[in-house]
Amino acid sequence: MSEQRITLTVNGRNIEFEAEPRKLLLDALREDCHLSGTHAGCEHGVCGACTVLVDGRPTRSCLCFAIQMEGHEVQTIESVGTPQKLSVLQQALHECHGLQCGFCTPGIVMTFEAYLKDHPEPTEADIREALSGNLCRCTGYQNIVAAIALAARRMREASPHDQ
Amino acid sequence: MTSEAFVHIGAHQPRKEDARLLTGHGRYIDDIVVPGALHACFVRSPHAHAEIRSVDMGAALDMPGVVAIYTGHDLARWTTRHRMAPPIDGLRAMEMDTLPTTKVRFQGDPVACVIATNRYLAEDAAEQVQVEYAVLPAVSTMWQALASDAPRVDDDLPDNLLSHQHAVHGDVAGAMAGAHRVIESSFSQHRQTHLPIETRGCIADWDVGRQHLNFQVGTQVPHPYRTTLAARLRLSESQVSVVSPDVGGGFGQKIALYREELTVAAVSMQLGRPVRWREDRMENLLASSQAREDFCRTRVAVDAQGRVLALDLEIVEDFGAYSFYPGNYLARVVAMIITGPYRIANYAYDVKVVLSNKVGNGPMRAPMSVTSWVMEGTLDAVARELGLDPVAVRRVNMLRPDELPYTMATGEVLADVSPNATMDGVLAAIGYDSLRQRQAQARAQGRWLGIGVCNVVESTTYGSKFYKSAGIAGSGHEAAWIRIEPSGAVNASVGLGATGQGYETSLANAVADGLGVSPADVHVLLGHTDIAPYGMGSRGARGGTAGGGTLYLCAQQARATVLAIAAHLSGLADAQALRLLDSRVQQKVVDQWQDTGLTLADIARVAYLDPLALPPGVSPGLEFHLTYEPPPMTYSNASHACVVEVDGATGAVHIERYVVAEDCGTVLSPVVVEGQQHGAIAMGLSGSLYEHIEYDSATGQNLSGSLADYLVATSHELPHFELIPMHTPNLSTPAGIKGMAEGGVMGAIGALSNAVNDALAHLGVVVNQQPLTPMYLRGLIRQAQLNTNKTST
Repeated sequence: MSEQRITLTVNGRNIEFEAEPRKLLLDALREDCHLSGTHAGCEHGVCGACTVLVDGRPTRSCLCFAIQMEGHEVQTIESVGTPQKLSVLQQALHECHGLQCGFCTPGIVMTFEAYLKDHPEPTEADIREALSGNLCRCTGYQNIVAAIALAARRMREASPHDQ
Repeated sequence: MTSEAFVHIGAHQPRKEDARLLTGHGRYIDDIVVPGALHACFVRSPHAHAEIRSVDMGAALDMPGVVAIYTGHDLARWTTRHRMAPPIDGLRAMEMDTLPTTKVRFQGDPVACVIATNRYLAEDAAEQVQVEYAVLPAVSTMWQALASDAPRVDDDLPDNLLSHQHAVHGDVAGAMAGAHRVIESSFSQHRQTHLPIETRGCIADWDVGRQHLNFQVGTQVPHPYRTTLAARLRLSESQVSVVSPDVGGGFGQKIALYREELTVAAVSMQLGRPVRWREDRMENLLASSQAREDFCRTRVAVDAQGRVLALDLEIVEDFGAYSFYPGNYLARVVAMIITGPYRIANYAYDVKVVLSNKVGNGPMRAPMSVTSWVMEGTLDAVARELGLDPVAVRRVNMLRPDELPYTMATGEVLADVSPNATMDGVLAAIGYDSLRQRQAQARAQGRWLGIGVCNVVESTTYGSKFYKSAGIAGSGHEAAWIRIEPSGAVNASVGLGATGQGYETSLANAVADGLGVSPADVHVLLGHTDIAPYGMGSRGARGGTAGGGTLYLCAQQARATVLAIAAHLSGLADAQALRLLDSRVQQKVVDQWQDTGLTLADIARVAYLDPLALPPGVSPGLEFHLTYEPPPMTYSNASHACVVEVDGATGAVHIERYVVAEDCGTVLSPVVVEGQQHGAIAMGLSGSLYEHIEYDSATGQNLSGSLADYLVATSHELPHFELIPMHTPNLSTPAGIKGMAEGGVMGAIGALSNAVNDALAHLGVVVNQQPLTPMYLRGLIRQAQLNTNKTST
């Protein structure tokens, strides 16, 4: 299979590279865009560790080819916060101990950065339902659920006019 | 907690690890860029048991990007065989090749290794390697393994019985003969796997000039791993560095040196180039370590009040095809500690471990996971048979506080545990008495509620004496160093291997309080064999006592030197009236602590840059090193209680409430401990309800090769866990630490099964195997209803 030029828009930046059309978005992000925060957990769409946003929607980057994403806006964990300035959700995960080994965490952050925009007042049951697309082997989920609820509350308090 | 005043130990602080992991800046194996690295992909057996007739790699070698393809014959020249032969009664020695050369022993067994310029091309070529097999009959169950005409998994052994041990303590036969009743129960725990979200992987980089191997791998035990890796490559331990970066979960899967990893290292040495490998999820499910799969039978002699007069335990474990650990490594511990918090003097056990055509077993979070289910399920059976309340049966058998320390029938000493307190705590929290009323009302309405209780005694820190007395090869000691730098910054290291437990946070607290500084000023370095001292790594629940305890003692040693210097500089005869707090030296004047103006940085400056000002006998610099041997065993204890509802129409189990009271002594970090409790309970519940590595009983084919087959509980299935922390310090360990992290699995397995049994008790059926799938439970319910219909017509 021959390589061809692919242009992706990732975190607001255009990145060009040569790759085979069969190259997964996941692998292109990690190898060609040098963004290793998106993790390969199962490569068959179950665990959610590789979740990124495509045009704002959570997407499994292991289930699509990089070349398919030309012309779309891709956002990865590297666009969310920095170690010095965490996002509201990341800060809540930190305070609630919502991560342990951290391997699944970027996928969870990406899923809920999008989810909380559309669902500002989720119940615990809502959060658990939405989180069921991300496997975590360390935490038992309880503190992740608490962190998402805390982040939602802080986001509502920060922008009361959206209520 | 203890009489020692802790400032940081036990205080609530969020983790130091989080910022990098939350923002995608962790560095896991696959994130490490190594220019020019080649990629390995393994050709794996499609058969459970087969002779390798030939390997044709001609077409594959012509594929784009392929650099080389190697088989077991190549590896046999470059590496030594693996021999597992500790001198243990009843254990047979076992050897294996690095990669099989004559026959494969399970579906997924690696037969060849393709090296190519990228992973896609390596996988393409692996598909073109043609291996001719002659299929042999497979051993797919432990009962097939024990059959006299069974195919032999290992042709060098006379049969499939890898390990067999038994013991009798007290007068079991006499107690059985004279008992009010003898009640028999059985428990079948199914095969599972650890399933870290990060699969296995490694990077080998042979430095031709220095003749040195840099080996990066996610491992729980960096130094023991290096010892084995160096030996099998015929290198000195000075020629190998093992470096473990951020690790995406281990749970016991990342301890042994795997054959794939050894192959990658050997290939890098041959090619003189860096080689990397990361398995995919299917390989992780087919060929990475698996665990559990044991059958247990108890016979218990009781009096009319349910008092246990004797216990007879039989265990058969299906160990898989290869011995990465001694065969008795897992099941023997179950037999040693089964009686838990109960007074049982007459006890016999018989433990058989058999080989089968499956992946080799390894320890998985709570290698003794089945223990509490077996003991507590046995007590529930006693209650059922005698018409007693399950809690009442526990009470008549449970050790009273005045009976501690208690020497179990096996010789294990149980001390500093609080089973009465945890059970009382959890029963009060869940409202046990009123729950029984609610259960009766619900049943009248056709709803099947069940209440399950499970008391846990978790073996946490395995000292060298335990290994010796249990007949298991191993040491339980640990090592640490602390270096106070010229600026007063504190670096510390210990031989543990982090896989997400938050060591950088919890261990910093141990150093902080042992020394007298803020945890923010303590930097914990782990997972690099050239930096960390030689320790035994992370396994069991030894991180707290062995890791934290050793660092705490080392920090106390450092503090004594720092204060001796401070006393000398202050013109005091000794340091009796001095302490270090938050890096400042304070002096007690009358009853008040007063700041002396001296800081740790001042002391460090003298120690490094003005050593002539040091007191006599104190050597320059501030470096400390210490090794520590923990007690033979430490125990944490807990009581789990849960309420479930079983849907009679579908067999589905809904967990309504889950409460745990856990006493794990002094906790270094409550944040970390709570997270470990949640994770352990979740793993126990998920395993009991869903997870199942299933092999076809006829062909030995692994039927669980994807996460659509190997089901793991999600946030949707798991309940909210209510925790009641208790803190009885261990009086034999530094700072009263006990360790924890596996008991949650033990308790969850038992509490859930007991609750489901309780919910179905009115049908006269007993759940005696896991997982508790709807299909399994519906089968029991259907049979019970058929029987009822038969008797009523």
